[in-house]
Amino acid sequence: MAMIEMRGINKGYMLGEERLPILKNVDFSVEKGEYVAILGPSGSGKTTFMNIIGCMDVMDSGEYYLDGVAIHETKERDLTEIRNKKIGFIFQNYQLIPTYNVMQNIIMPLLMRGMSHQDAEARCMETIRLLGLDQRLEHKPNELSGGQKQRVSIARALVGQPAILLADEPTGALDQTSGKEVLKLFSEINEMGNTIVMITHDLSVAKTAKRIVRIVDGQLME
Amino acid sequence: MRLAEIIRLVWLNLSQNKFKVVLTSVGIIVGSATIMLVIAIGTGSREEVAEQFKNLNAGAIDVTYGGEAQSGGGSDWFSGLFSFGNGGEMPSFGGGDGGGMPSFGGGSGSGSGRSSGGGRSSDGSRSSGGSGMPSFGGFGGGSNGDDLILTQADCEMLLEEVDGITDATIAYTTTTSVEGGDHSSATYYTIAGVLDNYAQISNLSMAIGSFLTQENDESKEKVCVLGANVATEIFGSAYAAYDGIVYIDDRPYVVSGVLEEMGTVASGISPDTAIFIPYQTGIKYVTGEFIRPTITVIAEDVNNVSAVMEEINAVLEETYEGSAFGLSDAGSKMEAATTSNQTLTLLLYSMAAIVFIVGGIGIMNVLFVSVKERTNEIGILKALGCSRKDILMEFLLEASCISFVGACIGVLLSLGITPAVELFHVRVSLSAQGAMLSLVFGVITGTIFGFYPAYKASRLVPVVALNQE
Ligand SMILES: Nc1ncnc2c1ncn2[C@@H]1O[C@H](COP(=O)(O)OP(=O)(O)OP(=O)(O)O)[C@@H](O)[C@H]1O
Ligand SMILES: [Mg+2]
Repeated sequence: MAMIEMRGINKGYMLGEERLPILKNVDFSVEKGEYVAILGPSGSGKTTFMNIIGCMDVMDSGEYYLDGVAIHETKERDLTEIRNKKIGFIFQNYQLIPTYNVMQNIIMPLLMRGMSHQDAEARCMETIRLLGLDQRLEHKPNELSGGQKQRVSIARALVGQPAILLADEPTGALDQTSGKEVLKLFSEINEMGNTIVMITHDLSVAKTAKRIVRIVDGQLME
Repeated sequence: MRLAEIIRLVWLNLSQNKFKVVLTSVGIIVGSATIMLVIAIGTGSREEVAEQFKNLNAGAIDVTYGGEAQSGGGSDWFSGLFSFGNGGEMPSFGGGDGGGMPSFGGGSGSGSGRSSGGGRSSDGSRSSGGSGMPSFGGFGGGSNGDDLILTQADCEMLLEEVDGITDATIAYTTTTSVEGGDHSSATYYTIAGVLDNYAQISNLSMAIGSFLTQENDESKEKVCVLGANVATEIFGSAYAAYDGIVYIDDRPYVVSGVLEEMGTVASGISPDTAIFIPYQTGIKYVTGEFIRPTITVIAEDVNNVSAVMEEINAVLEETYEGSAFGLSDAGSKMEAATTSNQTLTLLLYSMAAIVFIVGGIGIMNVLFVSVKERTNEIGILKALGCSRKDILMEFLLEASCISFVGACIGVLLSLGITPAVELFHVRVSLSAQGAMLSLVFGVITGTIFGFYPAYKASRLVPVVALNQE
């Protein structure tokens, strides 16, 4: 079965009395090991869609299977665990916890699985080396550059070895050079067998992915 | 998440926000300091009551005739406590201040010879056993006549005719000039005319020498026993006073003994500042016949005091028809004191409770602000898969830690405040149990009031929380 299998997804927001539809009857599937870019202009519903893929928001109707689990039938309590084990989030604005240093930020998903911090730290050393963060472990997020912050965020998403990596505008806040570095990292990570779904409004960014899906008028087009 | 890891994160968060921790815990700091002091003051006043009644036998019953009823007795501790201008009369809380204690049945023995503070009637050097205590049987029916004077014979009669009593004694006090020792000029002291059994009945013990004897009394010998303070004032020490001579009303008296220091007492003759002479000697040389003595009777069974009192009343009634006597018992004095002490303690505790509630609301407000501030962080935690339980736990632990720190600071603060409180002559008795209790109360309050903000935090919807800036 596909890693992501979505059928007839609908999602809208209520604006006063009126319902504003954002996703209209969307079908979407991603196979294991794929690297997909979802491309669309601002306000087209990309973040809304990602929140649904990431099990952070509920859809109005439709079926969603993630790695074989029927998400549309799962309660919030269990969704917490699914987010922790199956999904690695990479946010546009990094979303690092400012009071924790790099190491503490990276091991958070492992701690939530009940690991001790010693075990968690040992386990993420490889990822940290891969992302070149060895020298920055004691730093707080506000002592890092944008590119470094995004690498911390990627490391955090990777350590849990999730079923999919979800990235919302991962290069949005970065300059071109750091942006390119991050995209190169994504390709490498994908080569290593990770499934990636990346969201962007930038065609040149989308082109680094193996497959591009456009979101137009609440519908997906290959 | 492992509890140990949650605790580690809490520690990380708090150690980076030390200022916030202190600010948040101000309410708890004040609350803990308050409860610590409340317990200390409550214990202190209980100890004080116990100490002040240490010269009283629980079964003691005082019988007087013709004394003037006086206010400010033991039943009135509360009003005494809250009316500071009341002739310096500040019951219980005047640690070591022997002057203004509420007194009854024999006059107070302030070293200054002050005659208005305690239970002494105001008729000059002639003294009475004015009773100001809650009393049984009422007072002399308005007729304050000098016609009836209780005597040693009455005392013996009661001992003989009333059942259930073990001992009886009679005593009177007066104030007169005393010279001797290092003193070049005369000083006024309380002179108490007492029987040989007075020391035992009033729980007095000797520092040196021996108490007055029956023989002293019968032969009207000019001997005396000095209170501890009197001995030091006149002779410099108890040792120097022993076998010395004091001149009471210009007549020489041999010091046959000196009492151990007793401290402040709530009632009766204040032994530290009095000079005891044989009953008959006093009548012959100092006071003359017109005295208002107090007979003190000791009931065998403390629980039987009221029956004994009724019987005393009956016997006296029979002997002196138509005269009303003042009867008061030590037990109810103690009880009254204890009751008002309890009322005071209750008041203090309610004060502490209010402070805690206010402090708790303070902690709740700050934690709410903190949850708002950290909404984004909560969103991140939720996105990463942190369960509600773990978030609740983290915020709750934070609240408990903050309040624990606050409670510790509060306890330390109360140690610092104690000397200031003692300046007001309030007895403060600090204890480890008090400290433990205020720590426990501080943590519990902080945790209870921290729960709601923590619960709110755990319920935040991840998407909404994440989008918050
Ligand atoms: N909580 C909400 N309530 C109401 N409307 C919302 C809400 N969140 C998003 N929308 C609306 O849904 C639409 C899609 O929003 P979304 O954030 O998914 O866009 P996007 O494609 O991610 O845009 P961008 O590229 O600017 O991030 C927008 O028109 C937005 O106004
Ligand atoms: Mg968006």
